[in-house]
Amino acid sequence: MKRTHKSNETIPVSEAEIVAMTSDLQDAHRDTLPALQSSIDAWTRSPSDDAERLSGFSRRSFLTRSGLLAAGGLLVASGGAAAASTIPRLAGPRSVRPAAFAAATAPLDVRVAALAASLENLAVSTYASALSAATAGKLGKVPNAVATFVKTAMAQHKDHAAAWNAVVSSGGYKPITAPNAAIAVTVNAAFAKVTDIAGVAKLALVLEDAAAATYLEAVGVLSGAQAIETAATIQPVEMQHAAILNFVLGQYPVPVAFATTAGAATLMDAPAVAKR
Amino acid sequence: MYLDENELRELIEESEDIHSDAMQKSGLLFDDFVDLGLEHRAHGEIDPDEGREFATAQGDALRHGLVGVGATAGIGAALLALSASAAGAATASDVQILQTNQSIENLAIATYTIALTLPFIGGASANGVVKAFAMTTLGQHKQHAAAFSSAIKRLGGKVQSQPDPVLLNVVDKAKPTLTSAAAVVALALELEDGAAQTYVATTGVLKNSNARQVTASIMGVEAQHVATLRAVQALLGAKDASLIALPPTPLTSLPAAAGSVGFPNAFYPTSGARPETEGAVR
Repeated sequence: MKRTHKSNETIPVSEAEIVAMTSDLQDAHRDTLPALQSSIDAWTRSPSDDAERLSGFSRRSFLTRSGLLAAGGLLVASGGAAAASTIPRLAGPRSVRPAAFAAATAPLDVRVAALAASLENLAVSTYASALSAATAGKLGKVPNAVATFVKTAMAQHKDHAAAWNAVVSSGGYKPITAPNAAIAVTVNAAFAKVTDIAGVAKLALVLEDAAAATYLEAVGVLSGAQAIETAATIQPVEMQHAAILNFVLGQYPVPVAFATTAGAATLMDAPAVAKR
Repeated sequence: MYLDENELRELIEESEDIHSDAMQKSGLLFDDFVDLGLEHRAHGEIDPDEGREFATAQGDALRHGLVGVGATAGIGAALLALSASAAGAATASDVQILQTNQSIENLAIATYTIALTLPFIGGASANGVVKAFAMTTLGQHKQHAAAFSSAIKRLGGKVQSQPDPVLLNVVDKAKPTLTSAAAVVALALELEDGAAQTYVATTGVLKNSNARQVTASIMGVEAQHVATLRAVQALLGAKDASLIALPPTPLTSLPAAAGSVGFPNAFYPTSGARPETEGAVR
């Protein structure tokens, strides 16, 4: 800390006063200690409280660790350096902010599953839009392999949405049938600018990478066996979609040795869930 | 006794800064440790008595006003020591699973190393993309093996240096038949798919969070190897090896099946997962 003398004013003070003020300072210091004590209490709490506490930990992590989408309003590819250099960042302000975050009363597994289902619905709607645009001749000549990819991937994303919604339903909540509203704004704006198959593939790659990153994050925070299994069996398939898209785009299909959670959606993007 | 008022103010401000920094650091430290403790205890891996003992000791420290910058550093050291102790308390099955995973990686490394000595994979007659794939994938499997090794060590286990014994038999039997790129691709596909299925299956079984995270971060990459190999296999089978290129040119020449052959299942299967202890250190 750089000190500057603004004046040469001095104040008379006795040693007793200094001792008293130091004592006051110590008191003020101790006033802050209950927070620390509270943390220790939490650590020594009964094991029966663990599930709740663990959910709190998980929720916080899901909100703070992965938050590229949340923090910057960006949808960013996580497919490694090669992919990142060519895949556009879909930037834009969020005009839609789901109420789920504010009214986060549903169990964590349900909220994560709802987020995942909404991402799958978004993938389905995006691939459907691509098929419609291709049929209308708006994307130029569509290679057979790409058409097959889009149809197959779309069908698998429907299956994924159903699997995630099974987790939502098993928690007593209504299934999520709409695309993720928060991210759809950005994706739809990007899709409106797509004019060819390469553009579709790049946008699809962003979605597939984001889904894979989200499910990898989910594996670390979900607690139910059904939910973990759902995440673990879908995440590799999204990465396979990404590999083929990379191949079609002329990029190395396996760009990184380890999947990451970079670019994952967060619970701030999750849709609201309603009891059945 | 006379004090310069400005200097006193600055000293107080400095004291407040130090205090604030210390509290922030110790608060984060405690948050992290609480999280760690909860996570481990949720899996039955932490001793509540140890926690109470620690809490009592820290409570005493707080009551005696020892939490300052220096004291915070001491708590940090204690927390780190205790967290390391907790991390080492994982169950043996986690270590065995990780050893099996590493044994699969060891075999993949050995197999790609052999494959790259073959002229049609690593030699002059090899397709450029296939050769690059074999080399890159070999490097990625080495990274995976190192990651599993590190995870095993964190749990206090013995690193597995041997290949999976059952899959090794598969590779040994296949060696005499490796006379074409298609044969090598088929063998690699079997190994990669076995690895992916094993990691998907064990992701839900592993109790230690680091072990689970490491395994989960690798399963999708093995699945990508599978997807790529399936596509290459299809193009080799269709006598379209020239399309094994980045990008495949012209794209319109790719057979329709190339768009879906890489990912035949909506959910990654686990029926072919290796038994959890198959590659464990004996």
